Formats: sequence, C-alpha cells, structure tokens
Amino acid sequence: MTVVDISGLSVRFGTQLAVDGVSFQINRGEIFGLLGPNGAGKTTTLSAIEGLVTPSAGTVRVDGLDVHEHPLEVKARLGVQFQTTSFQEELKIEQIASLYGGLYGVRLTREQIVASLRDIGLQSELGKRFRQLSGGQQQRLALFIATIHDPLLLLLDEPTAGLDPQSRRSLWNRIEKLRGANKSILLTTHSMEEAQAVCDRVAIIDHGKLLTVGTPSDLIAEHAKDPRVVAVAHGAVTLEDVFIGLTGSEIRD
Amino acid sequence: MTESRADFARPPVALALGSLLRADWAVLLRNKISTFVGVLLPIVLIIVTTFGKASTKLGGSEQIVGLALTLGLITSCLLGYSLAIAHDRETGGLQRLRVTPVPTWTIMASRLIVQVVASLLTSVLVVVIGVIVHGLTLGIGTYVLVIGSAVVGSLMFLALGQSLVGLVKTSNGVSAIGRLLFVILVLLGLLGVTGVLGDTVKAIAGYSPVGALMTLFMDALTQVGWSGQDTIALLTCLGYIVVFAFIGIRWFRWESR
Repeated sequence: MTVVDISGLSVRFGTQLAVDGVSFQINRGEIFGLLGPNGAGKTTTLSAIEGLVTPSAGTVRVDGLDVHEHPLEVKARLGVQFQTTSFQEELKIEQIASLYGGLYGVRLTREQIVASLRDIGLQSELGKRFRQLSGGQQQRLALFIATIHDPLLLLLDEPTAGLDPQSRRSLWNRIEKLRGANKSILLTTHSMEEAQAVCDRVAIIDHGKLLTVGTPSDLIAEHAKDPRVVAVAHGAVTLEDVFIGLTGSEIRD
Repeated sequence: MTESRADFARPPVALALGSLLRADWAVLLRNKISTFVGVLLPIVLIIVTTFGKASTKLGGSEQIVGLALTLGLITSCLLGYSLAIAHDRETGGLQRLRVTPVPTWTIMASRLIVQVVASLLTSVLVVVIGVIVHGLTLGIGTYVLVIGSAVVGSLMFLALGQSLVGLVKTSNGVSAIGRLLFVILVLLGLLGVTGVLGDTVKAIAGYSPVGALMTLFMDALTQVGWSGQDTIALLTCLGYIVVFAFIGIRWFRWESR
C-alpha cells in the first residue's frame, strides 16, 4: 500500500531549481532514506511533503490526498522532526507535550504525559525547559512529539545528526519500533551506516535530481561496476562508495 | 493507493486554540524582563512625575497617565511582540507549529489575543495607580473609554509590530529598528504634541500613532465628551491598524532564511 506518492516534483526558489522532477513512492511500514550531499534537495523535498513550499511542477500525495488541495488533512497524517528541532524555549517539557497534543487533537492528562515521558526516559526532566536538555534528550522528546498523534507517516530530517553513538543507537531502536507498528518513515541522512542499518530502501539525490532508488544491497550490486564507483572504492564496494561515486568527491557547504 | 483514513481528523479549533493560548500565556509570563519592563516603565513614569512640578510641566496628570498607558502599549505590543515573533521564527519555533494540522491564523491569533489581554491588564493597573497617585477622579464610563482606547492602541502597535517582523527578517534587525521606532514614536508623541518642535511637527505629531492615541486617552481621562477631534484620532488609529496589518500579513515570512 502506497503512503507517499511523489510524481515529477520540482521546486524552484527564484532562479534556482532546488528539486528537479523527483518521483518516488513510499509503502506502508517502510523506512525510506533520502541521501544526498548538503544542498542536494533533501530538506526541500521534505518541505514539499509538509506543504511548506509550493511545487512549481508535479504532485505530492499522502494517503491519497494531494498536499496542496488538503494541507491540513495531510498534516494530520504527518509526524515531523526537523533537522534542528526548536520548541519555544520558555516552555517546560510537560507544557510542550500538552501544546502539541492539543494541536494534533489529542487530549492528554498529566498522568498520560508523565507515563509517556517515562517511556522515553525523560520523567525526571518533566519540569525542565527544552533548551536545558542534552542533544539526545532533545531528539527523544522531538520524536515523542512527532509521534504524539500516532501518525501514518514520519518525516525525520537528519534525526541523528550531532548525537553520540549511544543516543544514535537508541534512536535507531525507536525507529525500528515504529516500523514494527507499521508506520512509514522518510528520513534524510548523511550517514551511510544509518541508511544501511535502518532503511528498507534508499534514494540518492543530488542537484535536485533523483539519481537512483533501491534497497542498499541492490544499489551496491547495481552500481558496483560503475567506473565512478570503482574509482572511489577501497576494496569491496560499500553504499558510501556508491554515494560518493554518484555525487562526486567535492566538498559541499 | 490506499483510501484515506477518516480517523486522522483535524483537531477541533477550540482545542487547538486553547492549547496555543495556554502555551503563549506561559511564554509571556516567563519572559520576566519583557513583562516587567512593560508594566514597570509606565508605573515608574506615573510615580516620578508626582515629585516637584514635573506633572505640570508635562501637561497635567491626565497627560501623564495617557503617556504612561501609551508607553506600556508600545513596549509590550511593538517591542515585546515583534521580538518574540522574530526570535521564534529564527529558532524554527514558528515553522514547527506550522507543520501541525491547525490553520496558521490560529497560531498568530493566539499570540495577538494573549498580547491584547496582557496589555489591557497592564492598562487597568496603570490607570488605577494613576488615579491613586495623582488623585484623579474617574467614573465607570471613563474607565470603559480608557480600556476601549487601550484596545485600539494595542491593536495599532501590534499591527505596527507585525509589519516590522514582516519587513525585517532577522531578530537583530527587528530589535534595532524596533528600538529606533520606539524612540521616534515616544519623542514625537511627547515633544511633538506640545509644540516645542514647531507647529508643523505638532500637526504631524497629532496624526502619528502616539499622537492619535494620546488624544483618545487624554479626552477620555479629562472627561470632555466625544468630539470631532476624537473621531479623527480614532479613524487615524484604525487607518494605521489596517495599513500596518496589511503590510505585516502581506510580507510576513514564517522562515527567516
């Protein structure tokens, strides 16, 4: 069952074409990774799904609904975690949970909030403000808020960026649990290790164009003999070799 | 493609707006410095002008209370509101709210409602302290007129604050231009209307946001009855609300990038 259907998506900012004719689908219960260098168009693609940018061409459908014809209905189906998550700094964790519960139509009692925060190991931080949490705690809270309404599709923009290995593993485990609950997840990442560890399928995007889509093992098999990939490989071809081979070695800022 | 599920309903507006109002009120109260200055500045002005001949020099007790009310509104509605919006936009807080399934107008309406209510509470406090300290005698009708004028004033300065965050993208820019506007508006209202800076400035000052609002406050506090001057002042304020709100909505961006 298809949850996300993106067809011929293009997004233009002035003269710059940030996303150029991108098409892909995400199925129910699938974890889909969008890989690309900085400025490749990953976040803009996510923004198009979230309804934050208007496509210059193409369509984005979530659960059969066009994002621009039914923006609020689509947003009700989405759980979103931004690259740099920012809740209002003055609010305490408990207030953040209560606020976002209300915004997604979920009435939470204080006991329910405490129980939920206990599940993610934040029960003792109940009275703290968001900015007082560590990076790992902030990400756990952000993921909790993103799933507070049991969404159909989770959009995670570089969810493990800046986390230590323990926090990263913990987040992967939580993502795995969500897959177990038949959630669809679209995540962007720079980490090939992460893509291989948690993603069912990945797409590599660069300069706004989708270069290739498939399971990590299929992509390695498909591109193992590509001269650009062979040129950057050290021994057996890895997903990172495929990524570097297809997107180039120059550093992007 | 699956059929869309009915159980992903949009939240009731009352629930969403109620949640936003509670959060925005908590944020306002936690901004202790901003809230404190917005309340303290007018009260300090009222108290210090009881010493010596300051009250007479500044045009009398009614003028001082009117000026204190206006100062409070500019501080909280122009500076406090625009800075809070610019900060939340810069840190991504607004964008995070925008991806929730609530109409964007509820996000801004909540902030405006909280700010207007806070301004009204401050205005009532300032008038009560003004009455006690300066020995004014005001009837219920006067209180109602002053509160009504405070509503108009808070909406006018909120609209001005909205246009400021609409036209200026960074919080540093909003802060700098907001402070500059604060000084210009207060000086225009304080000195301009007295005629010290000449008749031309006096005429302009009368139609400035501060000048028009001061006219409404003064005539309400001196209980002279409604006049043509008040109608012009009210229309001037309403005109500013419409123009600044249009600019603020038309050019507002949810992201600072």
